[in-house]
Amino acid sequence: MPMLSNLLRFRLVDEKGRSARLTDLAVAHLEGDYPQVTRLLFFNEGGERKSLAWREVRSIEWRARLIRVPDLEAGSPMSSAPLKEEALLRAEVLDALVLDLQNRRATRANDLCLEEEDRRLVLRAADTSMSAVLRRLTRGLYKHMSEEALYDWKYVEFLRGDPQAARHEAGKHLRITRLPPGEIALLTNQIPYLHAAELLILLPDPLAADTLESMLPERQLQVFEELDKEQATRIVALMAPDNAADLVGRLNLEEMQSLLHKLPKDRSERIIDLLRYPEDTVGGIMTNDMVTVPRNLTVAEARRYLRKKLKGPDFVFYVYPVESEESQKLCGLLSLRNLLTEDDDRKLEDIMDPFVSTLDPLDSAVNAAYRVIDSGLAAMPVVGREGKLVGIVPVDVAIEQIAPEGGTRQLRIFA
Amino acid sequence: MSRPPTPQGLEPIESVESVTLPRGTRTVQRAGLRINIRGRSVRLRGLRVQPRGLLRWLLILGPGLIATSAGNDAGGIATYSSAGAKYGYDLIWVMILLTVSYAVVQEMCSRLGAATGRGLLDLIRERYGLGWATFAVVIILVANGGVTVSEFVGISAAVELLGINKYIVVPLAAGLIWYLVIFGSYNRVEKIFILMTLVFFAYPAAAFMAKPDWGEVARGAFVPSISTDPDYIFILVGLLGTTLTPYIQIFQQSSLVEKGVARRHYKNERVDAYFGAFFSNLMSIFMIIATAATLHAVGKTNIESAADAARALEPVVGSSAKLLFAVGLLGASLLAGAILPLATSYAISEAFGIPKGVNLDFRRGKVFFSLFTALIVVGTALALIPNLPVIQLLVAVQVLNGILLPIILVFILKLINDKQLTGDLKNTPLYNVLGWGTFAMITTAVVIMLGSQMLKLLGISLFG
Repeated sequence: MPMLSNLLRFRLVDEKGRSARLTDLAVAHLEGDYPQVTRLLFFNEGGERKSLAWREVRSIEWRARLIRVPDLEAGSPMSSAPLKEEALLRAEVLDALVLDLQNRRATRANDLCLEEEDRRLVLRAADTSMSAVLRRLTRGLYKHMSEEALYDWKYVEFLRGDPQAARHEAGKHLRITRLPPGEIALLTNQIPYLHAAELLILLPDPLAADTLESMLPERQLQVFEELDKEQATRIVALMAPDNAADLVGRLNLEEMQSLLHKLPKDRSERIIDLLRYPEDTVGGIMTNDMVTVPRNLTVAEARRYLRKKLKGPDFVFYVYPVESEESQKLCGLLSLRNLLTEDDDRKLEDIMDPFVSTLDPLDSAVNAAYRVIDSGLAAMPVVGREGKLVGIVPVDVAIEQIAPEGGTRQLRIFA
Repeated sequence: MSRPPTPQGLEPIESVESVTLPRGTRTVQRAGLRINIRGRSVRLRGLRVQPRGLLRWLLILGPGLIATSAGNDAGGIATYSSAGAKYGYDLIWVMILLTVSYAVVQEMCSRLGAATGRGLLDLIRERYGLGWATFAVVIILVANGGVTVSEFVGISAAVELLGINKYIVVPLAAGLIWYLVIFGSYNRVEKIFILMTLVFFAYPAAAFMAKPDWGEVARGAFVPSISTDPDYIFILVGLLGTTLTPYIQIFQQSSLVEKGVARRHYKNERVDAYFGAFFSNLMSIFMIIATAATLHAVGKTNIESAADAARALEPVVGSSAKLLFAVGLLGASLLAGAILPLATSYAISEAFGIPKGVNLDFRRGKVFFSLFTALIVVGTALALIPNLPVIQLLVAVQVLNGILLPIILVFILKLINDKQLTGDLKNTPLYNVLGWGTFAMITTAVVIMLGSQMLKLLGISLFG
């Protein structure tokens, strides 16, 4: 299989006998699983950087290390400005950090594997092994190659480490979106923060929001600050309010205020409500993204009433019957299962469980977390003054609160 | 200290609010912030208010202080002690000059770390390709390998001072370090090592209590004395190499990366680098003064063993000088003896893109694992060679570092001036003058040293 390091030792020869050394290959990296080589780059006799379209290539002579083209002087000049729709294999991809999506880890492209198929050359795989390093250092004297270390390009994401450069590519890189957000977040913790920011910019907003939620707190802040203001606002608006509040609370005051101003009104109000509680209290860990329903509705009315409201929140197990929409006074607990299985004409207040154990927003977060876990409920409601439902503590938040830190943390070597 | 201007619409609340929790668990006392958003005035209590005043500076300076106390390792102590004993106060001016260079270089490394979020070898690999990266890896491996050996020599010297057999203790210590790092409990033990090194704060006290001739100290500090004696230049390069060690630079850059400093918040971190350089060199100068006043003054100009070096602490702790010195040396050597192989293997694995997963997976990676183990084994083996001229060996390692230093400096200066990488954090002209000046100074010293050593070998003495 042709490797890039080998190909870069090839010479270009035209029909008039002129020759030049191949210096780089451009690929359309935004298209398809296996990007096609679009252009050959070389320096002509006058020392200018030129490029020639790949379709001009007549033949590749692997043994003689020659690429035959009709006319070298027909090449168009190349500026050193960054390319828009293409990436340079040697200058940008080789030696760069790549994400191996199959094994969920970051590694380096020590060599690139190309494949010739009907007169086209496509990027097929990245070689990340030490053998690739040795092959390059010994200029091909060392020949060993292990197929195992070849990572199919279909499952490789390449990053430049420059969030600005990624902006115009947003939405086009879609390989990594096959992973769930939690796994993308784990990957971002392994790579430098500028690479992580670049990755987040490439992701579609909803996935970016979920990924940002799962990152380690310090990494989250670093990455967030690299986003441009518009994208940052869009992403925070899509985050769960409790996670958004944790993030917003760590920004400096001017940024926090401008962000809260730009968010949609109901979003920013939810976040502000949560920011009012100290971090180590129930209010500091709860989410206020829950679903309430007036108690006097019938089951059928409630289903209609909830149809729209259930689309937003990402975790719904219970709906909370309240006195009225205005007062939001909690009066019971109702699981979604009950709502689905009970007869249409029964009133909610007759089928709900009126004995609810609740938390106070100023309780200690750790004690509350134990109560939630011990209760066996999927979430416990938090009730403020005059019985008003202000939030819920779901069991996953409770576990996060008391689980020992450092499960996924890397050993800190330098700090 | 003046308070930063309050952004519009935000007024910090002066009063502390006290909320009593139900069930009497405890009381939360927290100042809040009143904020006006869309005409709604709310008090936010969940904010992580940035620490102000003294606390803020302590938080910034903490890591720098630790890094510098770790920087004064076995090799450093040996070199500063030798310089003080052999040439008295004559070499202090080098340290003054070096403080500027050290601050500039450390700051550039921190800036590079914050601007790119990557380590030095990563950047070399990505900007200059595999060839240069391999070259840099070899340089780092030689430099750090040498220092690793010197740390194990430090451990053996320390235990010998305590009268314990080094052939038993050094392999045990190496095994312990290996185990702690590979099985991940190192971070917890590290603090004990750091505590042990605090012993070296006895040097400033010793320097004062030895009642040096302060006039002479001032002369040594501000009047450069240049000698063509090959040994003098040898020690001088050693001083350069131990102060501006390549390892400290890689460490500084990576610690900024691990600390998670983003480029937009870099400004305050400068202070850390400056202060670290200043503080560490101040300590070194006190070491030189203390040894000069106790050993050089009485005609003991050649330090041959750790016991000799320990005598510099006698003015302050009397007969327990040996014991204290041994404890400090042991702590410093264990600290660096663990960190150095670890950081070296880590940086090299990253540069070559050795696949790594989370935590243990990574440490079980073949290349990482063998490099780390090899560094420790070779370090231990070399340190156990019988009748080793301890102090001379330690100084020689620092000289080796001095020789390799200019190469690493060129990489740092090239990278920090790469606008595509560093953007707004690119070097200013003043920094470039100071940085390249440092490079020129070190290169000159190294060339003169190599020349004079060569001539010495050939039996020719420079300038009669």
